[in-house]
Amino acid sequence: MNRALAIAFVILAPLVVLFTAGDNQFLVFIVGITLIHMLLASGLNLLYGYTGLIPLTYAGIAGISAYATANLSMFGGLSFWLALPLGSLLAAAVGVLLSLPAIRLRGFYFALSGLVIQSAMSIAFVYFPRYTNGDTGIASIPRPTLFGAALPSPWIECLLGVFVIAVVGVVWLIMRSRFGASLIAIREDEDLARALGVSVTLNRTVSFAIASFIAGIGGGLYAYYVGFVSPRAFDVLVSLNIWLMAAMGGRATLVGPLLGALILAPLPFFLQQYTWLKDVIYGLAIILVTMYLPSGIYGYLLKRRARS
Amino acid sequence: MDEFLLLTVSVITSGLLVGTIFSVVAAGLSLIHGTILLPQAANGQVFLGAGLLFWLFGTTFEWPLWVAVPLTFLAVAAFAFATERLVLRHFYPLKDRNISYLIITLGLAQILSGVYTGTFGKMTDTFQIVPPVTGFLVLEPFPISNARAIAFALAALVLVGLIVFLRMHRIGRALRAVFQNRDVARLRGINTPRIYRFAFLLGTMVTTAGGILYALAYALDLSVGWTMSLITFAIMIVGGPGSIVGALCVGLVFGFTQAIVSVIADPTIATFAYLLAMLAMLFVRPSGLFAR
Repeated sequence: MNRALAIAFVILAPLVVLFTAGDNQFLVFIVGITLIHMLLASGLNLLYGYTGLIPLTYAGIAGISAYATANLSMFGGLSFWLALPLGSLLAAAVGVLLSLPAIRLRGFYFALSGLVIQSAMSIAFVYFPRYTNGDTGIASIPRPTLFGAALPSPWIECLLGVFVIAVVGVVWLIMRSRFGASLIAIREDEDLARALGVSVTLNRTVSFAIASFIAGIGGGLYAYYVGFVSPRAFDVLVSLNIWLMAAMGGRATLVGPLLGALILAPLPFFLQQYTWLKDVIYGLAIILVTMYLPSGIYGYLLKRRARS
Repeated sequence: MDEFLLLTVSVITSGLLVGTIFSVVAAGLSLIHGTILLPQAANGQVFLGAGLLFWLFGTTFEWPLWVAVPLTFLAVAAFAFATERLVLRHFYPLKDRNISYLIITLGLAQILSGVYTGTFGKMTDTFQIVPPVTGFLVLEPFPISNARAIAFALAALVLVGLIVFLRMHRIGRALRAVFQNRDVARLRGINTPRIYRFAFLLGTMVTTAGGILYALAYALDLSVGWTMSLITFAIMIVGGPGSIVGALCVGLVFGFTQAIVSVIADPTIATFAYLLAMLAMLFVRPSGLFAR
């Protein structure tokens, strides 16, 4: 019950800002971006928190969907409601491909292969300008439409909120299922799980497919919401920072990634002309979380309550 | 015919130069990873930082070479020492520390790249040092800039010095003992945490040398850090972590690839090729070509 309250609080916080912000477009935009990051971090948490993999390819997967939805809607003439699931399906397919290294590589080597693949994808985004327009990126992607009219501003953020709730719900359902239990068993001890008859490869591939689908939704929503996609929006640091959101909030909890995104995602917008400070703060947070707060803020609170 | 010959010679010379500098930086990375199990993802940013500091001291402040070079080394050494003290040291007792280290050094790389953007990035876009030596060396009939010839000679000297040090010197031999088997090395009375600290400092200094030499030969820009991280990671994985000879051989191959590809196409395509080579190697033989 407490957990449900915490989730509700964290998701509602940006929506409250949304409706008190009034005409302040800047604050409204920050709310939208934060919600997208909540969604992305929740998806990554499925892989990092529950399955125990650090997917440094995550932003690249989201990027593939972002470019795909942008292309489908601008040049293919598809509506948002058709382009988004198609882009996400493509992302899921790519995600399944990228889960193949995990069959052979463990821990560090898997993370390193992710780093390599992510870098290759970043280069590919620049070097296939037919679909990505290279370094310049694709601009002026139209906003989603509902009942034939473009969604106006406070409502599109609400739509993002609905997506976040749906994703959290999916992760919650997975965790309650047998499949979720298998994932946790694999995370805890792969050999033991295999000995107990859990198909490690199959379960891991499915979790990759689902998480990549979520990444795809996040990437597609980003493309539509910001209206602009460029290779810089999906590079390795973005993967790392979405990881940071899940890790800092609390891995393997439903609230954690939401909380992490709520704290970290709005930060760059308040730094004004000192945007480079974002990298310094995020980088410091990565080091501090790894050293002192491996279970994240929410995980730490849970542990402290369990002790008292 | 003459044009073709000129092109061939320029490919060979630039391949040699780029290759040896790649090898130097990769040797630093490989030394650190082989000894400490620390995949230094910020190594490229350290390399870039060394080049930028050298540019700042030598070209902007116009300090003489004998001040600018030692000061660059000192500044990077202070940074490496602080990093080891404050962060890296705490992970030595962990068995699977390399994954934590990868994440931490990626964070470090992000900090450094933010700092460079906020400081150097405000000054200019490309950082070209005023070469301390001018003129050309003429290998009849081909001219080679003196600065580049010196950069090549020094880079080769660093590599030879490093190999000799690791084979001959007492501490170098202790380092190699840790590469080969850290548990037995500890049983034989080697103080592993001290060797780790030494390896991190030495590796970082080697990388610093690479950065200064690169700045001597080419203009820097802020994206070089990430590219160099990727290239040297690829060299280390293909050559085998901890193997300086592996870093040298693979570094030269990569340098020539870069030089050849630059003639016919965009050098980024070469980066693509390195990444693929590294990925293939990760699957086939994660311990690398030259691992014992």
